[in-house]
Amino acid sequence: MKLIGKFVDKNGTGYVNLRPEDDEDMWHLYNIIQQGDLVRAPAIRRIQSVSATGSTESHRVKLNLTIQVSRVEFSSSGAPSSSADQTSSPAGSSSAAPTTTSALHISGPVASENRHVKMGAFHTLDIESNRDIRIEKVDGWDSVALARVEEACVPGRGAEVGAVVCGEGTAAFCLLSQHMTLVTHRISVPIPRKASAPGTSQYEKAMAKFYAILYEAFVRHIPYMSPSLRAIVFASPGWVREGVFNAMITEAGRRGDKTLTKALREKTVKVHVSSAHVHSLVEVLKSPEIVAQLKETKFAREGIVLDKFFKMLGVDEMRAWYGPDHVRLAADRGAIGTLLISDELFRASDPKLRKTYVELVEGVQQKGAEVVMFSSMHESGQQLNQLTGIAAILTFPLDVEVVEAEEREAREEERRQQETETLDGGGVG
Amino acid sequence: MSPVNTPSKASKKAGIGAKKSGTMTPHGTGGLDARLFDMAALNLLSKGEEPIDEPPPKIALERGKLLQEVRKVLEGQGGDKKTVSLVVIGHVDAGKSTLMGRLLYELGRVDEKTRVANERGSSKAGKSSFSWAWELDGTIEERERGITMDIALQSLSTPQRQVTILDAPGHKDFIPNMISGAAQADCALLVVDAITGEFEAGFDRGGQTREHLLLVRSLGVSQVIVAVNKLDQVNWDPSRFEEICGLLRAFLVQSGFPSSKTSFVPVSAMLGVNLVNNADASVLSKWYKGPTLVDLLDKLEPPTREITSPLRLPISNVFKGQNSGTGVTGRICGGVVQVGERLRVLPGDESAIVRLIDVEEQSVPWAAAGTNAAVYLTSIDPIHLSIGSVLCPPSDIVPLATVFTARIIVFDIQLPITTGTSIELFHHSRDVPAMISKLIATLDRASGVVTKKNPRGTSAEVEISLRVGTLSGPTLSTRPIPLEPFSVNKDMGRILVRRGGETISAGIVLDIIS
Repeated sequence: MKLIGKFVDKNGTGYVNLRPEDDEDMWHLYNIIQQGDLVRAPAIRRIQSVSATGSTESHRVKLNLTIQVSRVEFSSSGAPSSSADQTSSPAGSSSAAPTTTSALHISGPVASENRHVKMGAFHTLDIESNRDIRIEKVDGWDSVALARVEEACVPGRGAEVGAVVCGEGTAAFCLLSQHMTLVTHRISVPIPRKASAPGTSQYEKAMAKFYAILYEAFVRHIPYMSPSLRAIVFASPGWVREGVFNAMITEAGRRGDKTLTKALREKTVKVHVSSAHVHSLVEVLKSPEIVAQLKETKFAREGIVLDKFFKMLGVDEMRAWYGPDHVRLAADRGAIGTLLISDELFRASDPKLRKTYVELVEGVQQKGAEVVMFSSMHESGQQLNQLTGIAAILTFPLDVEVVEAEEREAREEERRQQETETLDGGGVG
Repeated sequence: MSPVNTPSKASKKAGIGAKKSGTMTPHGTGGLDARLFDMAALNLLSKGEEPIDEPPPKIALERGKLLQEVRKVLEGQGGDKKTVSLVVIGHVDAGKSTLMGRLLYELGRVDEKTRVANERGSSKAGKSSFSWAWELDGTIEERERGITMDIALQSLSTPQRQVTILDAPGHKDFIPNMISGAAQADCALLVVDAITGEFEAGFDRGGQTREHLLLVRSLGVSQVIVAVNKLDQVNWDPSRFEEICGLLRAFLVQSGFPSSKTSFVPVSAMLGVNLVNNADASVLSKWYKGPTLVDLLDKLEPPTREITSPLRLPISNVFKGQNSGTGVTGRICGGVVQVGERLRVLPGDESAIVRLIDVEEQSVPWAAAGTNAAVYLTSIDPIHLSIGSVLCPPSDIVPLATVFTARIIVFDIQLPITTGTSIELFHHSRDVPAMISKLIATLDRASGVVTKKNPRGTSAEVEISLRVGTLSGPTLSTRPIPLEPFSVNKDMGRILVRRGGETISAGIVLDIIS
């Protein structure tokens, strides 16, 4: 994303001009734009005019519209849906190459009138790449939003990884970038299991077919030629990844596809995972092979931190807290060492709720603790979302129940004090 | 066997053919052959439709009568042997496949020619010690690696019993396959390696001996035979045998196996000692006077079969039949199935007709709960049949679930289970990504009394929901899985929960929410 202009005063009011360039930028915008913001972007609107004779005429007008956001919708058209559906026919896997474009739709009433569009008329903006967009926040820009803009505009962050998570007869093709995991394709080929008498040859035949389909899908869905693709990961339980890799190399050699052979030889990392589901991507990200290569990238860091949290949960329950209320209590006590927070919480439609989270993050940062913002487009973020979206690793153990009891006491105390105050007040009066 | 003979097919053809003749072939009525060619080019004869060529077989028996007959056979009145299915479990390289290969040979199930072929093949590959296992490890990869990767299905007969053998893989990466096999078994045969250090490696934390035992116990297996293998490697040392028995006995009791139903037997699979007859075991016979492995197999008691409940057949394998049609195998978890019946495939909207039922490689008119049957289906496209689907009668279909509550036993785990824990849910041969969506209560393990409501941390009554399509992509609606509460059908109500390659708990389904 390019930052075209930024006019934000010290109180946080102002606007930012941005030019989104790729899918990930759409995801950033989705996280930046909130309900109530004023967004100005180029739009095409159909205008109907009635002439004096009563005939209607409609034409499309290209214009810049400013709307007050009432809804933001993000959809990434990742996998052409041959889906997780286990019975899906292999034919589905030969669908056309996807143009992995995410779409961002912003709708709301028009906030500034012009010649064609009246004030308050509804419009849905389709945000396109390479078209400038201006975002103005009514309540002002908070630190989290500004940090997000800054992060989005860092150039050359395209460290991408292509991963194939495969099992016997199933494979999921994933593209990982800093903030997103795209499942671009899934294939599933029925593999007859090893049966005593007739099954064996069928098994091998089916596996050969699976390898062939996987090769085709790989060529289509993994941009192996792109220099920004840092690694190609084959992950599977058992030895499927070896079989897949060998089949790919052989097939590439047979077809004389030199670029593919080269890419496979140079970039391939084979990782053992415990299951063939997409969620074992977290295992991929915390595997030593990947950590060594990509530890500075955001998604690898997220994976490592989440793993650390879960390990802490196992070792010392009193130092691993989760849930907004509990984490807030820990923050009040200055106990947080690392705060894990999902970007989903900042997309809360209620601005007050968002504000509390922003304050929490700022407070924790001021105390010198580390804050890791998880992207819910990654598997690790999804898992954090399942765990209420917020968690913390504490610097010293705290018992939840003791803290809760303390809080209760404090509240009780406060109430009593208030009561006595009012009583005193009454006495004097 | 021209398809045109069948009335249904012929009418369909005539319909399409007529259209064609109007536009393309002027001599429509005479051009039957030409039309056939046309049809072939259009590929209208998909594979799944072929079996329609034969009229589907009629149902032979009315249900009441069938149940009577089933009961008669199950009680052994017809002079038939009782059937039990046995899963062979144990740590990797304990010698499960070798033991089974040798046992099959000793019982005459493997002929001399195959044995010689296996022996020659394996020594050629430089793995002569795997020659017995080759009988069960059929695929190229398994033979190359010298490891079982998938369940092998065999059957053997002892004087009193017809035993279906499910040889499970011991390697931890293939536990999903092992679960699929264990879900089809009544009893278990645990093979342990007696070699010093090897037994300990399999029995300690991270070894498969414990995990396998817990898994089969959770799947309802209570009878277990322990074969202490490779005793020849420790010079038939009786103290070693006793030491292993002692360690295992304690663990078995602790895991909930009744001690009356567990038995121990010292064997050597490679030498074939104490499998069928113990006469030739020179050193062993000095101190061991107990039963041989076959004697123990002969005493296995089949559990009571739920034959009156509606049919449930979870599919564990789908393959192409030898002639036509699609074959599925699986263990019948309830009810009876007979040739000619129409069955519904769930999840999905398809149904199929049973053309043939094979039990122990013999064609039978019906099969009842507890049998491992191969069922050949017609009038269904094979793509609608997938591993993990359940066959059931159209009148009494199995419920589908995406969210359900379960009572689970949490095993010895390092990370506690929390709300939102990502898990893999295993149910028969299917595994799906799921998560613990709610912790309802912790229970006291012995009494089942609720000790803590809404707990934080480990718990025993939970709500599990299947994960909705993750990450990007069009939001996939979750495909529900066929599931039944434990109170309705025991076999259909057992689940296993794994996380990161480790079995973290097992449980039973209490209630299906949606």
